[in-house]
Amino acid sequence: MPNSPLEQFAILPLIPMHIGNYYFSFTNPSLFMLLTLSLVLLLLHFVTKNGGGNSVPNAWQSLVELIYDFVPNLVNEQIGGLSGNVKQKFFPRILVTLTFSLFRNPQGMIPYSFTVTSHFLITLGLSFSLFIGITIVGFQRNGLHFFSFLLPAGVPLPLAPFLVLLELIPHCFRALSSGIRLFANMMAGHSSVKILSGSAWTMLCMNNILYFIGDPGPLFIVLALTGLELGVAISQAHVSTISICIYLNDATNLH
Amino acid sequence: MLEGAKSMGAGAATIASAGAAVGIGNVFSSLIHSVARNPSLAKQSFGYAILGFALTEAIALFALMMAFLISFVF
Repeated sequence: MPNSPLEQFAILPLIPMHIGNYYFSFTNPSLFMLLTLSLVLLLLHFVTKNGGGNSVPNAWQSLVELIYDFVPNLVNEQIGGLSGNVKQKFFPRILVTLTFSLFRNPQGMIPYSFTVTSHFLITLGLSFSLFIGITIVGFQRNGLHFFSFLLPAGVPLPLAPFLVLLELIPHCFRALSSGIRLFANMMAGHSSVKILSGSAWTMLCMNNILYFIGDPGPLFIVLALTGLELGVAISQAHVSTISICIYLNDATNLH
Repeated sequence: MLEGAKSMGAGAATIASAGAAVGIGNVFSSLIHSVARNPSLAKQSFGYAILGFALTEAIALFALMMAFLISFVF
């Protein structure tokens, strides 16, 4: 695919490895995942240990404190419920989810870098593992009473079988939808930026004065779209975290 | 023949953007209505509006993603 806008999502093995029949190469997604992880850990390390931990924070420390303060509000708002200790229990999980996607999504906006979250496999793995974890939490907290979330309160008994089916399908679809949402946002946004910048470049290279005058049009659209993409990258981290909180709330505090 | 059918399919997939346009317009018109009625809640309702915008925009991007998949992958 030489001219395809999906070329940027190609997975290339950097260090090919085979273990038995399995293909365990160190690819560019793994490299960029490690980069994100090390970026987050470095930021947290410099803020907390060496030269950090001031009572009057500098810029980096206040950034980390902003992220850290943002999550408890979210968790309290969404998973508050009746039981008190639930907040502290789920706080680290939500913080990791938010921080990881908050750093990973804008990282893909750097030209010639690689967007890890634009791969369906990765977002689907994330959302499926979270879904399985949420189901386990629901069973652990409520026992077999967890099944009551399938039936809204005050439903006449003859209608129950249909409603159980009707509630079960959207519940299972949540595992897919939160993965698809992140993936589709990242992939479609990056492809449209690529397509429009390709259009601007082609207009510039046409050696025609009319096209040259018209060229700022697509260029400014690319500029605006890049800003929109940065906003989308950050807001999608927020949205996926909120939706995980909502699912956790449904599992822990039954209606 | 197949190329033409692919282009037609990709073009037809983008019709779905109309629905998302209605949705996004609805989100922000509701925001303006509610802020006009109760300006003291402007900050809180803006946060909800951005959340609703992101959820609605995701649906628009599903359609765009289908168009890209049809025209470049298959």
